[in-house]
Amino acid sequence: MTPSRLAFAAILGKDLRAELRTLQSLPAMALFAVTTFVIFRFGLDRTALSGSLGAGVLWVTLLFAAILGINRLFVAEREEGGFDAIRLAPIDRTAVFAAKAAALLVYLLALELVVVPVFAVFFLDSAAALPPLVLVLLLADLGLAATGTLISSMAVNSRARDLLAPLVLLPLVVPLSIAATGAIEPLLAVGGPGYHRFGTWLAVLGLYDLIFLLVGYAVFDFLLED
Amino acid sequence: MYGKGLRPLSIATVAALVVSLSLVFFYAPLDADQGFIQKIFYLHVPLAIVALIGFVIGGVFAILHLRSGDSRWDAYSYVSIHMSVIFGVAVLITGSIWAKASWGHWWVWDEPTLVSFLIVFLMYATYYPFRYAIEDRERQARYASVFAITAGAFVPLNFMAVRMAQSLVHPRVFATTNGGLPGSMMLTFLVSLLAIGLLWVTLVKFELTAKSASGQLKRLRRALDAPAPGGRSRVAPEVS
Amino acid sequence: MLALLAATPALPLDEAGKYVAGAYVVFLALIVIYVAIMAAKLQRIERELGELAAFAEARATADQAAPGRESETPSISDSLASHGSRGGGA
Repeated sequence: MTPSRLAFAAILGKDLRAELRTLQSLPAMALFAVTTFVIFRFGLDRTALSGSLGAGVLWVTLLFAAILGINRLFVAEREEGGFDAIRLAPIDRTAVFAAKAAALLVYLLALELVVVPVFAVFFLDSAAALPPLVLVLLLADLGLAATGTLISSMAVNSRARDLLAPLVLLPLVVPLSIAATGAIEPLLAVGGPGYHRFGTWLAVLGLYDLIFLLVGYAVFDFLLED
Repeated sequence: MYGKGLRPLSIATVAALVVSLSLVFFYAPLDADQGFIQKIFYLHVPLAIVALIGFVIGGVFAILHLRSGDSRWDAYSYVSIHMSVIFGVAVLITGSIWAKASWGHWWVWDEPTLVSFLIVFLMYATYYPFRYAIEDRERQARYASVFAITAGAFVPLNFMAVRMAQSLVHPRVFATTNGGLPGSMMLTFLVSLLAIGLLWVTLVKFELTAKSASGQLKRLRRALDAPAPGGRSRVAPEVS
Repeated sequence: MLALLAATPALPLDEAGKYVAGAYVVFLALIVIYVAIMAAKLQRIERELGELAAFAEARATADQAAPGRESETPSISDSLASHGSRGGGA
């Protein structure tokens, strides 16, 4: 039985290398996000964003860009027989969940590395909010990675798979969205970053991450059975 | 045999509903704040509580299904969730009527419990397209169980998050200016809760009986080598 | 009984009554709609069961008729009996 961390490293490495080589998802996600910012600029008729409006635009854009990536997370496994390989390999299935979720987390962080500075340049006055913003997004991304991997692994085996993942995922991430935007809104306040209930919202994000990582860990075995 | 016990159960449900309605309109006193409108509360809140418990029950059946592999648990899980979604429709409509009567709008974002319930409803509404998009029956059942468990974990988190997002707190019915429901109202509420709970159980049993009959019919048809009837092939979970 | 009626609050005929009634009507309507849908399902089950019963009986009489020369002509009373029972049961 291959030890889990070897399996984890192998699968994560494969995914990241494949993405680096083909650059299928990441550039598209980033481009989508930046174009969405432009659409928001005109849709809301605003050249500067702050507070709840800024938090909303940033989070919604990141979420929808993430969904693009989530849709593609298991495509390679499905099209090239990866699922069979995983089933045959003597590894603990939960290592697969951990590796895929970690890969998705890396994609989301890479996405934000590009998109958040662009957001700041387009809409914000100062970069003072960025460091705490990164912390919030890190915790939020973890939750998104857990639920996204879980839903994507099921949707990929269905008809209308591009439709199914966003459909089921969006209500599921409502609590995550509430907490993320709740924390980001005071950070983008006009007078400078505020930390109203910052700790509380981070705790909620942490709780969400914990619960859905546990759920994913507990059920993923059943998803890969045949 | 799912139909067994359905008759006494239905009789008990009818009796409970009649007693509950009588208490609501002939016994419970008028609320000081909301007046006659408050009577909707005896319908709306039990429906919501029973629906939410039903979702949790659906999650429990899902866990049992994954652990045992017996497809009967999957059918129970499906019907529990299905019935709770239907009750959920009733919750949202009666909640909307209550909102219109109390605050003048057909929907208010200020009532955190109603908003949370809407989100939970939207989550479970995706159960159907999700199920029916997966063609292989066994896989469909397994994935549906995973969905039911995930959604079950989501419900308390959701209520918590939505409540935290509210800055205004509207008067909660359970905490009137006196600091709690008077005894007569509490009795009426509890009887209503029992009646709606019995209704849920009866309808779930009813639905399972119908499914079982359909399933037996299929078995019979297979055993007789009879031609299949015309009509769309259902991918819905079966009971045999 | 009279005491109960005396204690019954007069239904206020203002706006509030309409909303409360509306809520209970919605509840009733949903129950009735559900019953109607289940009735349709029950009808379909009954119809299919009838078809299956007919099919099974037809096959039974065919089996009777085909192999044996003893029962070359199914007796009229036999088919009358089977028709009668079908008619009685339908």
